[in-house]
Amino acid sequence: MPNFRVNGLSDDELKRAAAQAGLALRVDELRRIAERLGRDPSIVEVHAFDAQWSEHCSYKSSRHLLRKLPTEGPTVMQGPAEDAGILHLGEWNGEKWGVVIAHESHNHPSQVVPFEGAATGVGGIVRDVLCMGAEVIAVADPLRFGRVEDPQSHQRYVAQGVVDGIAAYGNAIGVPNIAGDLYFDERFDDNCLVNVVSLGLLKENEIIHSAAPSNSAGWDIVLVGKATDASGFGGAAFSSVTLDEEDQDANKGAVQVPDSFLKNVIMRASYAVFRYLRENKITAGFKDLGAGGIMGCTAELCSSGGFGAIIDLDDVNTAIKNLPPEVIAIGETQERLCWVLPGDVTPHVLRIYNDEFSLPQVARGACATVIGAVQSEKQYVMRHGNDIVMDVPIEFLTGSIRDELPIRPMSERKVTDPARKYVVGEHSVADLLPKVLAHRDICSREPLFVRYDGVVRGTTVIPRGYANAGVIAPVQGSPLGVALSVAGNPRYGKVDPVLAAQYAVLEAVRKVVAVGARPLGLTDCLNFGNPQNIEHYSEFAHAIDGLALAARELGTPYVSGNVSLYNESKTGNAIPASPIVACVGALQDVAAVITSPLKRPDSTLFLIGRPHNAAGGAVFAELVEQTGGPLAPIDYDRAAAEIAFFRAASDGGFLLSARSIGNGGLLAALCAMAFPTLERSAIGVRLTGPASWTGGVVGELEAYFGEGGGFVAETAQPDALETIASDGVDLIRIGQTQNAPSLALESSQFDLRELHRIWRAPLALVYP
Amino acid sequence: MAAKVAVLVFPGTNSETETWRICRDVGLDARIVHWSQAATLPQFDAYVLPGGFAYEDRIRAGAVPAHDPMMDYVIEASQKGKLILGVCNGAQILLEAGLVPGTGPVRRPTAAFTHNGPVPHFVCKHVHLKLAVEPSRCAITAALAKNALIPAWAAHGQGRLAATPEHLREIMQGGHLAFVYAHADGTVNEAAVPNASALGCAGLTNREGNVLAIMPHPERDAWNYNHPDRRDTGDILAPSGGVKLYAALAEALNLA
Amino acid sequence: MSSRTVAIRLKIPDNEAYTALTALRRLGVDIARLERAEIWTFEDRGTEHDFVERVEGNETLFNPNKHELHLLEEGKPREGEAWIEELDAGEVAVRIADIAHGRRFVGWRLFSEGHTPADEATVRSATEKLLCNPAIERAIQ
Repeated sequence: MPNFRVNGLSDDELKRAAAQAGLALRVDELRRIAERLGRDPSIVEVHAFDAQWSEHCSYKSSRHLLRKLPTEGPTVMQGPAEDAGILHLGEWNGEKWGVVIAHESHNHPSQVVPFEGAATGVGGIVRDVLCMGAEVIAVADPLRFGRVEDPQSHQRYVAQGVVDGIAAYGNAIGVPNIAGDLYFDERFDDNCLVNVVSLGLLKENEIIHSAAPSNSAGWDIVLVGKATDASGFGGAAFSSVTLDEEDQDANKGAVQVPDSFLKNVIMRASYAVFRYLRENKITAGFKDLGAGGIMGCTAELCSSGGFGAIIDLDDVNTAIKNLPPEVIAIGETQERLCWVLPGDVTPHVLRIYNDEFSLPQVARGACATVIGAVQSEKQYVMRHGNDIVMDVPIEFLTGSIRDELPIRPMSERKVTDPARKYVVGEHSVADLLPKVLAHRDICSREPLFVRYDGVVRGTTVIPRGYANAGVIAPVQGSPLGVALSVAGNPRYGKVDPVLAAQYAVLEAVRKVVAVGARPLGLTDCLNFGNPQNIEHYSEFAHAIDGLALAARELGTPYVSGNVSLYNESKTGNAIPASPIVACVGALQDVAAVITSPLKRPDSTLFLIGRPHNAAGGAVFAELVEQTGGPLAPIDYDRAAAEIAFFRAASDGGFLLSARSIGNGGLLAALCAMAFPTLERSAIGVRLTGPASWTGGVVGELEAYFGEGGGFVAETAQPDALETIASDGVDLIRIGQTQNAPSLALESSQFDLRELHRIWRAPLALVYP
Repeated sequence: MAAKVAVLVFPGTNSETETWRICRDVGLDARIVHWSQAATLPQFDAYVLPGGFAYEDRIRAGAVPAHDPMMDYVIEASQKGKLILGVCNGAQILLEAGLVPGTGPVRRPTAAFTHNGPVPHFVCKHVHLKLAVEPSRCAITAALAKNALIPAWAAHGQGRLAATPEHLREIMQGGHLAFVYAHADGTVNEAAVPNASALGCAGLTNREGNVLAIMPHPERDAWNYNHPDRRDTGDILAPSGGVKLYAALAEALNLA
Repeated sequence: MSSRTVAIRLKIPDNEAYTALTALRRLGVDIARLERAEIWTFEDRGTEHDFVERVEGNETLFNPNKHELHLLEEGKPREGEAWIEELDAGEVAVRIADIAHGRRFVGWRLFSEGHTPADEATVRSATEKLLCNPAIERAIQ
């Protein structure tokens, strides 16, 4: 077995050798490996460390910073230690149910092969939920694309391919898409963001952990899924391999190939395995394969349990003959999972996957097969042919490593002048409202989500387009509901990454509250630039502080998350700071859910939360060419009081409809509430003059379009609502609903049907 | 004794759970029958082919599963006059197997549910199916009211009925056009059709009326909580309009 | 103006081709291998080289990370190949520089043992049994 020479090479020689071998490992890391092993590493070992110590696998630039995020609380069933987190959903018929959530990104692959990149992103996130022993019940897709106006542009191709990929994969596996969002900015031209979130359902006593169980020495390690090919290794793997004729179709590229058909079958087979294990009270370990392939997954499975492992690469089902051992060990072929099972259970599990669910007939070479065993000795050993190609201390391989990269302190951040005022100029509400509704970040997203199956499984209560968050009733026979929202505004990220992170949390939480749900917890995905660049890395570090602060203030812990760094173009332009947050909520009874559409004429409209100077990052500020202004700081006492009041009001049955105020401000929210009524008996809005409800603190434009937060709600019991309002909450009557398809303001009147047309049109050009 | 209904699962099917549930809720002894259990199929009284992406719709939706061994049993059962309901992917499989409209030999399709129009992409939309034949024309719809309107969710990428002009004429003249798309108030026009389906077709039946193939999913609007507009109608977990079709199937089986 | 035909195939594994192969074998069509391609024919003004360059410049048709492109000598199916076209397809709108439409087919290329193209009878059997639905498609051999 040839080795990768480290000892005896100068730093320069080593650097060149690493580059030639396609390794990202630094000179100091390579020397550390050689020293710890007491010898030069083998080829397989050096690739293994390259993968395991990569940013993607090791989180070396971020783990120590992520420790600042709050991860505990009474709603947490399981925190971020494993591939997905779990929150307490509620009890039904004496059983305690948990909702599983995972959140990941697949940004770089989607920029290159949008369809496959996005599809495999959905594939990966679904596996993270599945491997906790959960039934997969929903997905969400927060997306960020570049300028798509030109139909011939790469950005347009990416925007369309990504949505096609998410649709094709999610629809085929039968998981409803119930939430998501979409933003456009030129700084995503070369680096799209494709984040995906998935939910699962399980009972608390049925969690399957991603660790070899405590008594599992000698147990089987069973690989399930697609035949291993060269995904992730690309052409480099083939320099020494002669391809047989039947291998002509083998994966010669670095592209990760989705197979939603195989995944559909693997999911159902895995559910059957779950049932078998539960009926027979067997504890097993289960983990999905991602970056680092077989090596990464099995090493983590075993080291998490305090064990080592012996893997025989000859036993792996491969798609191509004569694959080099490092490719088998570390390649990132999709649609694979790994079990740790007692020896007498293995045959039953193999039968379920291979016979009952006929994996080999579903995809070429797919199957479940034993590839190794758990061992007490804490060494990670891999065999190939007659050679031992890997033999390293397992904790050295999987243990956390850390890169202390320089961060510019918060006090040195460039901050815009908070005293800056807006010059309104000749802009009128009549002029602005149609432009706000047609804005790329506001216009109707229906052309996009109509392509997603939002109702498969028959559990959907609120599909996309009806409210701020999606809602499902996933526990059969029970009215327990689960709400899901996503947030993360790149316009804010360009202004102030720290506040943008806080607004992402606040917005995600408010969206869940707005449908009448109780927020349980959060996930976060931090999409940033190059950690070697002090500006980008500082933004990243400070954004984490923002996420931590907001979550602590609002009492919502993080149970899972992801980091995606290096989202920058070759010219070094990074994406806007993009912390993206998902929030999961629970409803005791979905009958109490609150939807956006206005319900009746002559009901009273209330603002919850007084408008304040919140023009920074707002859509209207961009339209009046006043960008660059600061984001409004968040008063958490007020924000928490508003949320508490809204929940009391919704629990008390006072609210007919409601919406969280976000992009486009109050008027955009009211339009979203009025538009769905146009199909039947149209219900419009009549507002009193804004001076009466802003106390003159802000001007007309900020009142109508400011994005400082809060809620707008419709009620038929205005007096009763006012009596339950506490001092810390601004509850302001702003007008009435009316029996006419118009939006009547003090200074102008709008035909809602015309506004609806304007709002519906723009995205239909990208998604016809 | 409740009638035994098989809810078939092909590799790639994904709507078996809600389909099984609604069959059970209407009093049928419904069992999920997986492709490795195909040999148990003859013992059932009726068959429901649920939605999904059997074989990922490769080549054409329904093309590969039409040749699956499970379909041999379904074809045999249909020739014996047993009742068969295909929903969405199930409908596509029945058309590819030639069982519906059944105007040609077995496995020689004379019509297809193919790529949506005007733009060929998946569409997820709430719709209504309107019974377009006499209820008694098809055993499964016999218990429905004349012109019955059934709420459902359309969720498909290949739901447009297409056939040669001669075969479309045959469909019309033979009374095979069981369901058309309609608005909530029962109006039938082009705007009600989400996928440019020929004849506004949402469902077809065969000559004998024992096989029904519909594209939309009534079982996805089968309980009150399934549509935001129905939130205020009493018991959120109680059955809603979509249950009608399955209740009619149960009624037809109980009479047998 | 000349008629130009390109076959665009996946160079990453083609799952659909695998399913078609196994399904055909189960139906008694005895083939060893199967390739699937998108076939496009265009009326074009320029040279072959320019044409290929322009096709390769349209990302919705060709992505070099996952596709390979072959310019066909003739505007008809190769040996062992059947082209499937939708009956009511007509010309499909797609932009290759100043060309606005083309005709689209799905090309299925069948092989017996070795690299031998399957014979006509085998190809016909495959299209009749599975690859072509005569209700909505025509097959060209």
